[in-house]
Amino acid sequence: MGERLRRVLLAGCAAMPLAATGALADPVVVTMNTVQIFSTVDPAKISDYTDYMASVNLYDGLVNVDRKGNLVPELAEKWEFSADGKEVTFHIRPDAHFQDGTPVEASDVVYSVERLLRIKQGPSNLFADVLKPGSVTAVDPKTVKFALSKTFSPFLTTVPAIRVLNAKIVQANAGDDDGQTYLATHTAGAGPYKLKSWERGSQMTIERDPNYYRGWGEGPIDEVRWLITNNEATVRSLAASGELTMTSQFQAPDTYTALAKMDRFKIVADDTAVAFYLKLNTKVAPTDDVHIRRAIACATDYETVRKDILPGGELTTPLPKVFADYHYDAAAPKFDLDCAKAEIAKSKYAEQKPIAVSLIYVAGAKFEEDLALLMQAQLDQIGFKTTVQSEPWNRVTEVATKVETTPNIAEVFFGPTYPSPDSMFFTQYDSKAAGTWASMEWLKNPDIDKQIESARDSSDLGEQAKIYKNLQKDLIDLQPDVFLLTQRVQHAMDKCLDGYAYVPMQSFEYNMHKYKWTCKKG
Amino acid sequence: MAARPGGARVKGGCGLEFLFFLTRRVLWSFLVLVGLSMVIFTIARVVPGDPARMALGPRASQEQVADLRKSMGLDLPLAEQYARFVGGLAHGDLGASFLTKRSVNADISETFAATLELVIATIIIAFAIGVPLGVAAAHWKDGWADNCVRLFAILGAVTPSFFLALLLQVLAGYVLHVLPTTGRLPPDMAFQPDLTGLVVLDSIFRGRFDVLIEALRHLLLPALALAMATTGQIARITRSSMIDVAKQDYIEAARAFGIPTRVRLFKYMLRPSFVPPLTIMGLEFASLIGNAFVVELVFAWPGMAAYGVRTIMQKDLNAIMGVVMISGLFFVSANLLVDLIVGFVDPRVRIQGAR
Repeated sequence: MGERLRRVLLAGCAAMPLAATGALADPVVVTMNTVQIFSTVDPAKISDYTDYMASVNLYDGLVNVDRKGNLVPELAEKWEFSADGKEVTFHIRPDAHFQDGTPVEASDVVYSVERLLRIKQGPSNLFADVLKPGSVTAVDPKTVKFALSKTFSPFLTTVPAIRVLNAKIVQANAGDDDGQTYLATHTAGAGPYKLKSWERGSQMTIERDPNYYRGWGEGPIDEVRWLITNNEATVRSLAASGELTMTSQFQAPDTYTALAKMDRFKIVADDTAVAFYLKLNTKVAPTDDVHIRRAIACATDYETVRKDILPGGELTTPLPKVFADYHYDAAAPKFDLDCAKAEIAKSKYAEQKPIAVSLIYVAGAKFEEDLALLMQAQLDQIGFKTTVQSEPWNRVTEVATKVETTPNIAEVFFGPTYPSPDSMFFTQYDSKAAGTWASMEWLKNPDIDKQIESARDSSDLGEQAKIYKNLQKDLIDLQPDVFLLTQRVQHAMDKCLDGYAYVPMQSFEYNMHKYKWTCKKG
Repeated sequence: MAARPGGARVKGGCGLEFLFFLTRRVLWSFLVLVGLSMVIFTIARVVPGDPARMALGPRASQEQVADLRKSMGLDLPLAEQYARFVGGLAHGDLGASFLTKRSVNADISETFAATLELVIATIIIAFAIGVPLGVAAAHWKDGWADNCVRLFAILGAVTPSFFLALLLQVLAGYVLHVLPTTGRLPPDMAFQPDLTGLVVLDSIFRGRFDVLIEALRHLLLPALALAMATTGQIARITRSSMIDVAKQDYIEAARAFGIPTRVRLFKYMLRPSFVPPLTIMGLEFASLIGNAFVVELVFAWPGMAAYGVRTIMQKDLNAIMGVVMISGLFFVSANLLVDLIVGFVDPRVRIQGAR
């Protein structure tokens, strides 16, 4: 309240002498906390949620993503596929221009992609298998063609990850590292916002570009300040003093409750495409036995998890319901200890008493600890001996690289990198993707691999849907995971701020061009 | 001329021996830094976690990780990696941070000044409050003032700085709304401290008193949170030293001669008592550089300590080495400086150093 009152008073004082000439309205400033720093604003190196959060505001791509995961025009006004599905041609809108006023041209797109492939960081892994150097060409100043080395039907859903650079500016400042030093502190994009200030340890501020080529609607946000703090007391303090407009999605439930009690805030919640799994190592005893895996699934108290430990939506298959067109309608898993005992009896470890299993969770997350203890209590009742271990995230990523060090059960969140079911299936279940924190199942199943590849090869949406539904059915049968829930994100937002809606692509929901301030300024 | 026992004087001996002392100290400091670099270099690479994976983010492919490992030289033998590091260090190049994707030199130059400013403010507050408290406690020994000061010192020692930071933040920011709780300046105040990196000093040099006021307002809470333990320590040590000095014959003589209490306290007792607190200041100054991270995290203070913690959590090898070397350099330099100051304040130390 203090900050808002100060603004009102300041605005009031400023308004008086300006009244005769027509007062300039106070800028609308949205302050949001993030729980980690922004590592980079270089589009070729962005990797984490904060990097993408900045990038979607500072840079535009050829296409954007809506809340259903559909692709919508951005720099490109239209696009078409070749008959064989191996070429995509984008037509850049005539009025698209960078923040310095220069028009966006096909050569800028070519440069951006080539640079991404050269630097081999950030989102380049999405394109490394399908785009080779020289495969993106400028047909004319406003037409750019992508020639894929093989059919890859989810390709279009990965295109939003290409953030287009102003080639002339970057090349002029390329130095000997392809502009990495320059773009570490400068931007060269066509996005709705410009970088105003950036103190890496504490904050980043961006300001609206009034000349943005797509224009602005009612109540635009003039300035966005991201304050870096994951301290709950700091967040509450900022909220109470009027400095905070919107919280991150990673606050403790108590913080949302406390902010909900303040008049100024509303709590906005949305189901996401991020799923929370218990990943089961299918290659080490005893979870190498499907009956043991099914026993663990039966012994999971899903209601308690979703109600008391971590609020979330129902997850019945490996694919969250956000992907509505591809979702297989399966019965919800149930907590049933009798079912669990029956499955153990069918397994090759039935005579072993107790059956030793290891469970790890990421240190520092209270709800993960609660879940681990709940699982331990349930499993130990039915003949398991569960060893629970908390590990820092870097240790989790390390143990996941070898099958023998991967634990039997691991608590892991996973969400799509691009708005396609392929992102969920390939990264978690394909044999080529084994050995990361996302694929701790070590599934290595040729039939599953074949289905994933078939879906990638097919450009027919109906055919894809059929394949993905069958794939889900098979994965439910194999039970490489316990499907716990889909994450429900929450934000405490100022009641005057509208526009948040989850998008199934990392941090694309934080494109502030979509937000508006609904209250009168000043 | 230095005095030897028996009254013999040695011409020029004092200066030469002090020079030897200084040279020896500098050499030992250098060896300490070399040893520190070796130990931390090895430990950073041995602890679990793949720095290339951490740098590229959780979504990176195995090929990306392998490529980056190679370009970072992580596939080389440890000794060769260390030799590369030393080679870069000799040129003042601490390498690139995997976390911030820019040079560690740039990161540290941006963050170190913030921590330095916080630590200087902390030391000033600790001395400004601790020394008078210690003097009062010594003067009114065993009285209520002495008991209060000792209680304060104990509370300062046992209260974790993060607890105090949160308490101050809640009181001053959440309840009373009297002071800001994050950052060095308000986000809408455009000011670059590009002269010294210290916002307070640079604002004075530039004549920006609006910035100076805001900088001091932002500095107060984190500095108070960090100063509590040091203030208590300074007060206790000043008290003890003053009590020891008070027992000296010359103090008794001064009292007998009717020298005013104030003169006796501050001229004849405090000056010789100042050596231990100064020594503590040197140790505290250096350790605060590293220990400020909790306060920096609570107040979103963009300092090197918080940066160091993040780099350790992310296994950002080059940045870890950079932070450790800078902190180590500061530690040995601060102690060396304190030795020189102590020598200046207490002539007996200079004379002893000459023997």
